Amino acid sequence: MICAEPVTQCRNVLGRPVIARARARIARTMLADCRFCAHDCGVNRLAGENGLCHAGAEAHFFCAQIEVSDELELIPTFAVALSGCDLRCDFCITGASSWNPQAGAGFDARTMAVKAETALRNGARTIMVLGGEPTIHLPAALEFVSLLPETAKLIWKTNAHGSALARELLDGMFDVWLADFKFGNDACAQQLSKTPDYVRIVQENLLGAAEHSELIVRHLLMPGHVDCCWQPVAEWLAAELPGVKVNLRSGFWPAWQAARHAELRRTVSRPENARAVDLAQRLGLNLVS
Amino acid sequence: MKKHRFKKDCASPGKDQVSELLILPDGQILVHNLTPAFAGLLRELNPDDEQISSRVTRHISPRL
Repeated sequence: MICAEPVTQCRNVLGRPVIARARARIARTMLADCRFCAHDCGVNRLAGENGLCHAGAEAHFFCAQIEVSDELELIPTFAVALSGCDLRCDFCITGASSWNPQAGAGFDARTMAVKAETALRNGARTIMVLGGEPTIHLPAALEFVSLLPETAKLIWKTNAHGSALARELLDGMFDVWLADFKFGNDACAQQLSKTPDYVRIVQENLLGAAEHSELIVRHLLMPGHVDCCWQPVAEWLAAELPGVKVNLRSGFWPAWQAARHAELRRTVSRPENARAVDLAQRLGLNLVS
Repeated sequence: MKKHRFKKDCASPGKDQVSELLILPDGQILVHNLTPAFAGLLRELNPDDEQISSRVTRHISPRL
């Protein structure tokens, strides 16, 4: 059943689990011509074809546990990390699992929903779906949502590189979008994550997410990338999403294949961090931690 | 810099929890996937650290 009404009205009538279940079925059929992310591969994942993310039809997960390292207003959160990603960030802190969609164990939505409900009973305030990148596993993510309590606060942690189609399927399903804006220009995006046309796509997703969910934008400060990446990100956020919550994260460490890039072989220096925070304050960004 | 990893992933049947940390030469500790239990441990090591204290949650069980 598809509701043609705006999702807020639709959700009031049908409830999130019902809509999520219907959308999960639609999303599964769409695996035959996968266009969930902005790479727009169009491969038939149901037939074993692989796009740039190499994900098959079934999702895997590499971690599911209660965590307290995310934004204070979201923790403790039950975080479910799905394997695989459509980006190839050389500095990915979970590179081995994020670049391999077969990593970890097979994802069973029903089993995971039971764990999530147990976590909520044990004190978790929210449930977070992340990756890798969860957008490439929309059928599994939506099926998971369909099995969760309507009242649970759900977080969609994303790289914001999804397609417009994915945004439609996600509309109204998650209370909070926790979205990365990693690179301030396409050259750095291409060099560090092999992603073309990055800035336009992310900006489109952030504006879209802000329309239908609460939005928190994250930027992982990278050594040597304050001027080229953080500054344009901060300026755009100040101009286009004034008041949006921004989490400027300074805990970069040279993980995975970061050493391929000379400037990423270290952590962020204190002067770099201070300069980044100063810029955020001068622009009036709504910083959260 | 020395990176410690408690377990490769937490998806295995043992249901172990995973936190990763990096200890910098100046004593700073960077943590990824911080669990309540590990936050509690870090607070014991440095009770004055507000960043960790704010993340320590009482009355939460890691059991799933």
